[in-house]
Amino acid sequence: MNEISIAARDVILAFVDDEHLMGQQHTEWIGVAPFLEEDLAFASIGQDELGHAAMLLEALVGTDDADIDALAFYREASQWRSCALVEVTLPEWSDTLLRHWLYDAAEELRWQLFQGSSVQLLADISVRALSEERFHRQHGDALLDVLLRVDDAHDRIMASLHKVLPLALTMFDGAPSEADALVEGVISGSLISLLGDWQQRVDHRFGPVDWEQIVRPVLSQRKERHDDFAPLLARMLEVLDLDRTVTW
Amino acid sequence: MAIFEVFLKKDGRDEFRHVGALDAANDELALVSARECYVRRAEGDLLWVVRRDNILSPEREFTAPNADKPHRHHSGEAVAARRKALREMTKAQPDE
Repeated sequence: MNEISIAARDVILAFVDDEHLMGQQHTEWIGVAPFLEEDLAFASIGQDELGHAAMLLEALVGTDDADIDALAFYREASQWRSCALVEVTLPEWSDTLLRHWLYDAAEELRWQLFQGSSVQLLADISVRALSEERFHRQHGDALLDVLLRVDDAHDRIMASLHKVLPLALTMFDGAPSEADALVEGVISGSLISLLGDWQQRVDHRFGPVDWEQIVRPVLSQRKERHDDFAPLLARMLEVLDLDRTVTW
Repeated sequence: MAIFEVFLKKDGRDEFRHVGALDAANDELALVSARECYVRRAEGDLLWVVRRDNILSPEREFTAPNADKPHRHHSGEAVAARRKALREMTKAQPDE
């Protein structure tokens, strides 16, 4: 594990935390999505994202569950590297669907940054993750194909798009050591370098967006948390905190 | 929305087996939902998703008469049991 440099660890954690929280957000729809098939699908896709986070965590600390838990759950809030998009609570289904699509459109590009990584393990994980992401995007697109053709649903989707877009821009905020990781060859580009491709995908899917009108979020190199982060983490720790010594 | 029936087959010689049903707005969503709802733990290697409307399903009366044709059962036990029952019925009513 000692082949992971401090800079590499920082960019990996940015992805770990996004995947972890995105997975948690999706799985919270189990039982409450608009219909059974969708709550199962969201939870299933969420479990894939949790799997990606777990693979990256193993790359950082090995396979010991206690070490993984310590890193995955018990860092100070300022030590997390998640973005606001995955921290925010979105009680509306249409907002959640938009987050799913916008996140996955960027996630594919983010894994591609790892494909030629100087850390071979990251390159290997990216192959596995990309093979799964194809189906996440198919899920989001298939739903949108249907919903965007219905007037009422179309209007709700577009309203959600404009609500979620400023949050989605936080995905492209790089972790503090990103520049060093780039020099080391851990990643082949910065997160912000993906923005143009991602915006093209958004325009292609929903029609041209007036990007100048989208409120730019305040970026913190992923060191600051959204207000919804603390309650989200509390929900995640509800069971684990009952007894941290238990082996599940 | 339409109802779809889902079948899975493990690789090898096992046949496709019915595993459940789902609601979906179109064929693609049916496939996507089937993947997430029924195959997420690799329960099968091959997947069939069939619109319930496309399944030919006659009324029950169509098959019901075949429930009582023991002569079609190759073991002979059912025929023997029926002959024995008829003999005993005849013995019990000798005057008829």
